[in-house]
Amino acid sequence: MKMIHLLLALLLGLGLGLGYSWMISPVTYVDASPDILRADFKDQYRSVIAASYASTHDLGRTRARLELLGDTNPGGELNAQAQRMVAAGESPEAIQPITQLAQDLQQGFASIPVTSTFTAIIATSSPTNTPNAVASVTTAPTKIPLATATPVTQDATAESSTTDTPTPAPTTSFAQTALIPLASSTFAPRPTFTAMPPPGKPFELIDQETVCEPAAQPGLMKFILTDKRRKQIPGIEIIVTWDEGEDHFFTGFKPELGNGYADFVMQADIMYSIRVVEGGASIPNISAPNCKDSNGVEYIGGWLLTFQQP
Amino acid sequence: MSISNWIRIILTAIAGIALGLVYGWVIDPVEYVDVTPNILHADFRADYVMMVAEAHQSEKDLETSAKRLAMLGSESPAQIVTSTLDYAKKNNFTQNEIDLLQELLTAMQTYQPQEAAEP
Repeated sequence: MKMIHLLLALLLGLGLGLGYSWMISPVTYVDASPDILRADFKDQYRSVIAASYASTHDLGRTRARLELLGDTNPGGELNAQAQRMVAAGESPEAIQPITQLAQDLQQGFASIPVTSTFTAIIATSSPTNTPNAVASVTTAPTKIPLATATPVTQDATAESSTTDTPTPAPTTSFAQTALIPLASSTFAPRPTFTAMPPPGKPFELIDQETVCEPAAQPGLMKFILTDKRRKQIPGIEIIVTWDEGEDHFFTGFKPELGNGYADFVMQADIMYSIRVVEGGASIPNISAPNCKDSNGVEYIGGWLLTFQQP
Repeated sequence: MSISNWIRIILTAIAGIALGLVYGWVIDPVEYVDVTPNILHADFRADYVMMVAEAHQSEKDLETSAKRLAMLGSESPAQIVTSTLDYAKKNNFTQNEIDLLQELLTAMQTYQPQEAAEP
């Protein structure tokens, strides 16, 4: 008998075995962990984590829960999800807990909102005057550092959370059932809301730089908002008004550029007024500056405005 | 070809099948990504329902809570909370957590989907 026959038989058997184990009866999971959930279900899971956090303000336990999703940067993922929700036109009520949690993760302590106010985007702008950062939610947080808010309880809860959620081992034999798709929001749209002045000191303009970069977007007005320690703050509402309209937007919706970053595209020869939250700094008569490149050709520049809480 | 040779070939093929199965099931099994939540481990399901209960405590929004629970499968929201409540009692959840789940269960037992409520 030739060895080739045995080799062919072995290869045939191997092929049959692999075909059966990979295609006919592959390993299936019955005890999955949240980190392998599909992206939309991860978003839903994150939303529920944020909603739970809005109720409990237990940052330690919330961190542990976010870790289950396997995100390398949970705060960034929350900000990105908030952006997706804004783009999808979801309600401010659905987005607010997520931005709040992202902010608290970044600052490292729980913020307990005294009042949450929701501001509708006022769509009176001309089509070309579109802010790059658009959101429609703000909060009026009161900062309560965990150091003064029973840190022992926080730690104990976080610890119990991690010990209560062991990593499961995959097992075989499983029958999958179809899922019911979820609606993204259940809140009725609210046409008008009254903005409430947030607590804390108002922001002050501490620096205003002309940005002349030919490669940059013409008329780009950048905002950076920081606290008194120069730590960037997300979720701060900025209002830009001009003769024909008004726009509201918020910091922190481009986390890759900084949590306190927002921007707005100005048009040439239009005067804008800027206001940072109610009672905050107001800068009148801002217009896109003219710049010249190395050949002496004029182009529209931008601004970099830095605001800080005193 | 003699019978003994056929037996050798069949045995070799069986060995190949066994190797293939070991490779496909143990060494390099199909890896799952993008799974649906109904296959979450019981611990994670319970924690998810716990989060819904915590959120429900302040939101009191039956529709939202029911939709959140629907992510876990096709069972009714009340059934999902009931099984989680049983799990919580067997696994020494705190009394506060059990109370929250009980509150959610009571709410879900009275919940009627909007479509069903309409004539």
